[in-house]
Amino acid sequence: MNPFPTVGAQEATLFDHAFRLMTYMGAPVFGFMMAALIYSVLHFRAKNTNAGAPTEDGPPIHGHGAIPKIWVGVTTALCLVVMIYPGLTGLAEIRADRSHDVEVKVTGSRWVWALEYPQGGFQADELVLPVGKRVKFDLTAPAGDVLHSFWVPAFRQKLTTLPGQMTYMYITPTQTGDGHSDAAFRVQCSELCGLLHSRMQLNVRVVEQAEYDKWVAEKVKK
Amino acid sequence: MAILLGLILAAVGFVIGTGATGLIRMSLGLPYWDTEMSWSLGYPIALLGWLAGVGGWKYWATEWFGGRPAISPTGVSRYFEFNNDHKVIGIQYGVTFVVLFLLSGLAAMLIRWELMQPGMQLFTENQYNSVMSFHGIGMIAVAVAILMGAFGNYVVPLMIGARDMAFPRVNALSYWLVPPVAVMLIIALALGGWDSGWTAYPPLSVLNNSGQVLFNLAVITFGVVSIISGINFIATIVYERAPGMTWGRLPIFVWGCLAGSMIAFFFTQGFAAALLMVLFDRVLGTSFFGATGGGSALLYQHAFWFYSHPAVYVMVLPAFGIILEVLSHMSRKPLYAYKYAVGAMLGIVALSGVVWAHHMFTSGMADYLHAPFLVLTEMISIPTGLIFLSAVGTIWAGRLWMRTPMLFALGFLFNFTIGGLTGIYLADVPTDLHLHDTYFVVAHFHYTIMGGEIFALFAALYYWFPKITGREFNETLGKVHFTLMFIGFQLIFIPMFQVGVQGMNRRVADYPEAYADTNYQLSLSGFLLGSSFLFFVVNMVVSWVRGRRAADNPWGAHTLEWQVSSPPPPHNFDEIPTIEEGAYEYGVPGARPHARLTGAADRA
Repeated sequence: MNPFPTVGAQEATLFDHAFRLMTYMGAPVFGFMMAALIYSVLHFRAKNTNAGAPTEDGPPIHGHGAIPKIWVGVTTALCLVVMIYPGLTGLAEIRADRSHDVEVKVTGSRWVWALEYPQGGFQADELVLPVGKRVKFDLTAPAGDVLHSFWVPAFRQKLTTLPGQMTYMYITPTQTGDGHSDAAFRVQCSELCGLLHSRMQLNVRVVEQAEYDKWVAEKVKK
Repeated sequence: MAILLGLILAAVGFVIGTGATGLIRMSLGLPYWDTEMSWSLGYPIALLGWLAGVGGWKYWATEWFGGRPAISPTGVSRYFEFNNDHKVIGIQYGVTFVVLFLLSGLAAMLIRWELMQPGMQLFTENQYNSVMSFHGIGMIAVAVAILMGAFGNYVVPLMIGARDMAFPRVNALSYWLVPPVAVMLIIALALGGWDSGWTAYPPLSVLNNSGQVLFNLAVITFGVVSIISGINFIATIVYERAPGMTWGRLPIFVWGCLAGSMIAFFFTQGFAAALLMVLFDRVLGTSFFGATGGGSALLYQHAFWFYSHPAVYVMVLPAFGIILEVLSHMSRKPLYAYKYAVGAMLGIVALSGVVWAHHMFTSGMADYLHAPFLVLTEMISIPTGLIFLSAVGTIWAGRLWMRTPMLFALGFLFNFTIGGLTGIYLADVPTDLHLHDTYFVVAHFHYTIMGGEIFALFAALYYWFPKITGREFNETLGKVHFTLMFIGFQLIFIPMFQVGVQGMNRRVADYPEAYADTNYQLSLSGFLLGSSFLFFVVNMVVSWVRGRRAADNPWGAHTLEWQVSSPPPPHNFDEIPTIEEGAYEYGVPGARPHARLTGAADRA
C-alpha cells in the first residue's frame, strides 16, 4: 500500500524518503514499547483479584542501577541521528538550489489565488508548469489581507503568504499531472483564512515542455 | 442564590461599564454604542460585579472595609458560591470542566456530522468555522485546567500533608473566574462567532466578526486563572509540605503539578499579551499586526507560541504524574527510576521555553531559525523517553491490578507512544513542510492530548472517585467506557494520519471528493468514540448518588490522601502528619509506613 499522494516533484521524493526513514526508525521503538506493555499485561497481571486488591507486593526494584543510564544513552543517540539525518541534512538539501527557470508570482487574497507569470507578462487562472524545470514561487498577499498558505500536496512543500511581504518557495516538478483527475495536484490554502478557507483552491497542471510552450504562447497572444 | 446575585451584579456592572464608555464616546461626538469597545470596557466591570456577587464580597472583600467575613455553610449550597476549601474548589473545577469537555465534545460530533460527506450539510461555512473554533478553545481550556484544577486542588494538599492551599482565597478566585470564560465564549457564538480557531492568528483575528473580541476577553481572563493558580501551586508545594516530606519523597503527581505550574506561571503572559495587542488593534486602532500600518503578523505567532507550546506541557506534565502514580500503586511496585522521572519533568520545563518556533516552519520566518528549533525540539524526546522508562520499569514484574484506572493508565502509554513518535515527523523540517496544517497534525495532537492527557484524566477520575465522593463506581460500566473509548479513539485517529499525508488539510468545512471515503469512516468512528462518554456520565451520576460506600483506602495505596477518611474531613488532618518514608516503597523489606498520623490514623 502506498501511503503517499502522487510524487509530483523532486522535493516530494525527498519528503517520502525522510518520512519512510523515520517510520523505519520509529517502528522498533514502537515495537519495543508495545512488547513491554503487552507482555506485562499478560504476564504480570495479578491473580485472583476479584475479591479485592492483590494480596502481595511486587519485587522492590527502584531502578537505581545502570539501566536508566543506558536508556538515556540510547535515546540520546537515536535523537541525534534523527536530528542530523534526515533532519538537518534534509533541510540543507531543500535549501541548496536557489536557481530557477520559471518564475510564478502568487498572490493569496480572501479567498482566491491570483497567478502572474512575470517572464511572459501574463496572468493565469490555473497553475501550469513544465515538467523538469526549476520553479520559483514569489508568494505574497495584499497588505490589508490575512495569512494564507500556498500548498500543492504533490510537491510536498508549503509556505505562508504574508500580507505586504514576499516569501519564496522552490520546487522542480518531475511528473505530469492534472488536478482534475488527481487531488494532489491542487493549490490548497493551508492557513485558516476565514469564511471560504476550505474552498481556496486552484487547479494545477504539470505538462510536457512543448505543451507548456504552446500554453505560454497562447497566453502571451491574449 | 449567590450565582443569581452574581449575575445581577454582573448585569449592573455591564451597564455601568458600557454606560461610561457610551458617555465618553458621546462627548467625543461618536454614537453611544460600539459593540467591540462597549464590550471591552463593560466586561471587566461586569466581571467584578460577578465576583462580588458570588461571594467575593461576603467572604473576602468586606474585610478590607472593616467588615467581618461570613462563615461558609456546610451543605450542598457551598458548591454554588465562593468557598475557600481546596476540596470544594477541586469538585467545582472538576464538574465545570467535565461539563465543558462534554459540550466541546458535542461540538466535535457536529463537526464529524458535517464532514461525513463532501459538500455542506449541517452548517454554513461560517457556522462550521465557529463550531470548529469553539471545539478548539473549549478543549484547550479543559486540557489546561482540568487536571490541576480538579485533582491538583483536591489531592495535592492531602498528598503533601497540608490543611489547604497556600492562598485559599486566591484559589477560590481562580475558580470563579472560570464560568465567565465559558459564558463569554457562548455569547461570542451568538454574536456571529469567530472563525480564527483557538489560535486567533492576526490579521484574520483583527478583521473578522465581533465574536473575536469576546473570545479575546474570555481567554485573557482564563490566562489570569492559569497564572494565579500557578503561583498558588508553587507556593503550596514549596512551603506547605508536612515535616519529613522532602523533595525526594514527594509523590510524583505533586512533582507534575509543580512542573506544570511553573510553566503556567512563566509563560501564560505571552498569550495574554498577544491577545491584548489584537484587542488594541481592533478597538483602539493600533497596528501591531497589520501590514498597512507597519505591523508584523509574524510577531503574534512568536508571542503566541511562546506560551502555547509550553502550554501542552501544562496539560501533559500533571498527566505524567497521574499515570506514574496509578501505575505504581496498581502494580504494587516502587516507582521505577523516580529521580530520573523528576529530572525529566524539570528538563521538560526547561526545554519547553525554547522550542516554540517549530510551529512556524512554514510561516515565512527567517530560514536561519529552522535548524536550531529543529534541534531543540527533537531534544524533548530524551526527557519524555525517561517518563516512559519509569512507566515500563514500574509495571515490569509487578502485580498488575487491572481495574478501570489501571486500564486508562495503560491506554495512555499506548496512545502517547504513537503521539510521541509522530511528533518527530513534525519536528523535522523536511517532513513538516508537507505535514504542517494537515490532518496528520490533528491526529498527532489528539494522540498526545486526548489519547494522553484525557486518558490520564479518566485514570484520575476513576482512581480518586472513591476518595472524593466516598462512593464506589461501577466497575463494569467503567470497563465498557474504557473499551469503547480506546477502540473508537484508535479507529478515528489512525486513519487521520493517513488522510493528512494524502493531502487533506485541517480546519476545513469541506474537502475534495478524493477524501470522501476516509471521512465517512472517520465520522462513524467518531460517533463510536462519542458514545463511550454516555457510559461514563451514567456511571458517575448513578455512582455518586447511589454507589456503595467506599473504604478509606480501596486501592491499598501508600500516599497520604488514602490514609484519611473518604471523603476527607474538613481540615484534612487532625494533626499535621510526619513523613517517614518514600511514597512508593511497595514490597521493600523493612520499609516504614510513608507517614505517621495521629488522631485520624487510629481508624486504620
